[in-house]
Amino acid sequence: MWTHRSPAVVLGQAQRSLRHVIEQRIDGRAELLDREAGGGAVLTGPWMVSASVILPHGHPLLGDSLVGCYRWLGQLHAAALAEFGVPARALPAQSLPLANARIDARTVTWACFGGLSPWEVVDAGFRKLVGLAQRRRQAGVLLVAGTLVGATDWRLLCDVMGYPQDEDILRRRTASCEELAGRTIEPEAFASALARLIGNSLAAND
Amino acid sequence: MIEITLAADVWKDIEPGTEALVDKWLVGEGDSVRAGQPIANVVLVKTNQEIVAPVDGRIEKILVRREETFAQGKAIALLKEST
Repeated sequence: MWTHRSPAVVLGQAQRSLRHVIEQRIDGRAELLDREAGGGAVLTGPWMVSASVILPHGHPLLGDSLVGCYRWLGQLHAAALAEFGVPARALPAQSLPLANARIDARTVTWACFGGLSPWEVVDAGFRKLVGLAQRRRQAGVLLVAGTLVGATDWRLLCDVMGYPQDEDILRRRTASCEELAGRTIEPEAFASALARLIGNSLAAND
Repeated sequence: MIEITLAADVWKDIEPGTEALVDKWLVGEGDSVRAGQPIANVVLVKTNQEIVAPVDGRIEKILVRREETFAQGKAIALLKEST
């Protein structure tokens, strides 16, 4: 489990070629990191709780397909959010067209939270709360997730990435746990609950 | 010559028409590889997936360059098996 004291822009594979430009724009306001898991750029910070789970190939929780891998982690996040009074659900692949049609904002392809993928976690209005990605190597599968616990500094991310016009879109396509729960949620508390649920699930499927 | 592809089972449950993207080549044309050696990383539905050499051999030609996309079943490289 990861909580974050200060902001960091984490580039996905599609943004890495722009690294030198982004490095100049960032000007010390955030750390700049790369990740190998797929997807768009992520802004980590005190508003986010991240989870990394490594499973061996063939583990029952991975399901029988690449997309199916996300189901367990998405549903588990939704269960953790429910403990904090946050109504949310993991979105099946077949619901994606409906979700994208219902959201009154275009997809932002350069940002992880600018679009929806199978089993990512959304609120009733299909606003994204949890982003998922994975990395598959011979040694096993690394599943990663990031949850928007508090209000994200979308202005910083859009400014650094060179898309200031997308700030409003990212605000409309996302929600935070605190906003939905109507109260402050400590990242450490959510991380602890999520770790417990992950541990229970792993033990039950050992 | 062996066509290197992203295994069919990886595409299971993927929406038709979705393409994968070559993130990184770990070998170059003319390089010798061993069976099971990782030769490329590709991205599909937010998954960074390793592709390994199926047999010992030499990379004859890279057909899909870094940052380019490819459809299910398309070969991304040709591998000449060692004799």
